[in-house]
Amino acid sequence: MKEMKAVLHVMEHDLRNFVRYKFWIVGLIAMNLADLFIMAIVYTQMVRIDIVVDYFRFFSPGLTITGLFAAAFMIGREVNWEVRRSVSHYMLSLPIERWELATGRILAGGVRGMVYMSPLLLTTFLFLGFPSPTNLLVILGALFLLAAGTAGLSIAIAVSTRSFEKFVTSRSVLYYLLFFCSTIFYPMRDPRFLDLIKNVMPQPLIVFAQINPLSGGADMIRSFLLGTPALTLEMPMSILIFSGVFATSAAVAYIKIIERE
Amino acid sequence: MTKIWLVVERDMRMFLQYKFLLIMRAVWFFAQISLFGLVASQMINAEKVPNYFQYYAAGVGIMMLYSTAMFIGYDIYEEADHGVVEYLLSLPVSRRELVIGRSIGGGIRSFVYVGPMLVFILYIIGLANPLNFLLAFASLFLFAFGVSGMSITFAVGIKSRDKYDIFLGVFDALIVRLSTAMYPRATMLSASTLYGNIAAFNPVTFASDLFRWGAGIEYYLTSPLLALIGLFMFFSAFTLLGVAIYEKRLEGGVWE
Repeated sequence: MKEMKAVLHVMEHDLRNFVRYKFWIVGLIAMNLADLFIMAIVYTQMVRIDIVVDYFRFFSPGLTITGLFAAAFMIGREVNWEVRRSVSHYMLSLPIERWELATGRILAGGVRGMVYMSPLLLTTFLFLGFPSPTNLLVILGALFLLAAGTAGLSIAIAVSTRSFEKFVTSRSVLYYLLFFCSTIFYPMRDPRFLDLIKNVMPQPLIVFAQINPLSGGADMIRSFLLGTPALTLEMPMSILIFSGVFATSAAVAYIKIIERE
Repeated sequence: MTKIWLVVERDMRMFLQYKFLLIMRAVWFFAQISLFGLVASQMINAEKVPNYFQYYAAGVGIMMLYSTAMFIGYDIYEEADHGVVEYLLSLPVSRRELVIGRSIGGGIRSFVYVGPMLVFILYIIGLANPLNFLLAFASLFLFAFGVSGMSITFAVGIKSRDKYDIFLGVFDALIVRLSTAMYPRATMLSASTLYGNIAAFNPVTFASDLFRWGAGIEYYLTSPLLALIGLFMFFSAFTLLGVAIYEKRLEGGVWE
């Protein structure tokens, strides 16, 4: 119980910090809404209907995932700042165990992702229909795991360098790789589409897109709300593995770095 | 004139400080073209856009030019944060020379940075008519100077970094998506008349369409002259307005 309380304190601290980024959040919301209500609507007019029947409906779950990822990734920026400014000394002086601190931060990153993503998910439900209560729980559970894994990945990168510029550059490269090599924007599991892109996208990137946890999250929502693509074991597994690997490695790296600092 | 060039040179030098930002932007550019552009073009209906990859690549070039030219607004806030504004005011350079120099500097530095990318795009699209291209290229200078002037106008007009961040976040999201940078106007009109009509008066539309026209993708632009006039009006409005507002607002008041 005492451990739980400590973890909750750390989470509360990080959630309060999240509200500080209201300017960044407003910009991100504007971009997300413009992507959905302008870009996706216009793309619906020019995308081949034999590939995607309604691009707006296809893209909406993908956009939810991009919002979740971007918001959950923000925690790394703070951790990197703390490493650079040696705030970790203060953190270590708190009556909180190292593992409680690490767990709290990863979970807070996940919750922040969920908080930001909620209005986008609700918008998706409004346009695509609401899932059954069981499916809703599965979706929320999978998205929370994805957000926690993303926060873990972000923290792992943040503690690996003291340079803010290097952190930001790595983040950008990762963003583009994970966003563009995924099913967020295009139906990379559809055999007809795969046949079309086989000459423009290298096979390893296609495989990466299919096992990408962001693809898993977007396609799980699509399979529950749109019926396509069909739900496969690969989707939740990619999220589980991603979340497990990065949450654990982030916790280990975080504990090591704040002790070393 | 010498004083204006000194201001231009200073802004060019300042730009090189942002090397990581420049690397990030370059990564964004190549990811947009080699990943999104190539793959997304496979799902676009060729009856609507005959070669979407080429179309999109040209749009990405203009988006790069726009976002790089907008960056000068952040320089102004950095200077206000570090108290450099007072130093600039103490120099034997008039306010007018300062703002004209900054507007030109912002435009030139974005051109220097985006230039090689535009050449890469031309390599993808090809160059059908060099004369048209020279005209389009000159018009892009007007666009870049206009965007820099606009960014300066917003920055000194708002004078609050937080409000500027919010405003720019919303503004950037809308100005690019409500333009023909990513999709033709005919498609926008079929999606929403409002979107199509806004795009018709958007400087990003003028620049994108002129660049494509210059590179030989001519069928999206019925009147290059109108687009050119549109860009000239945009450039004049924001350079003149920029000078007026910058002169008026630089002294006094508080930078938040």
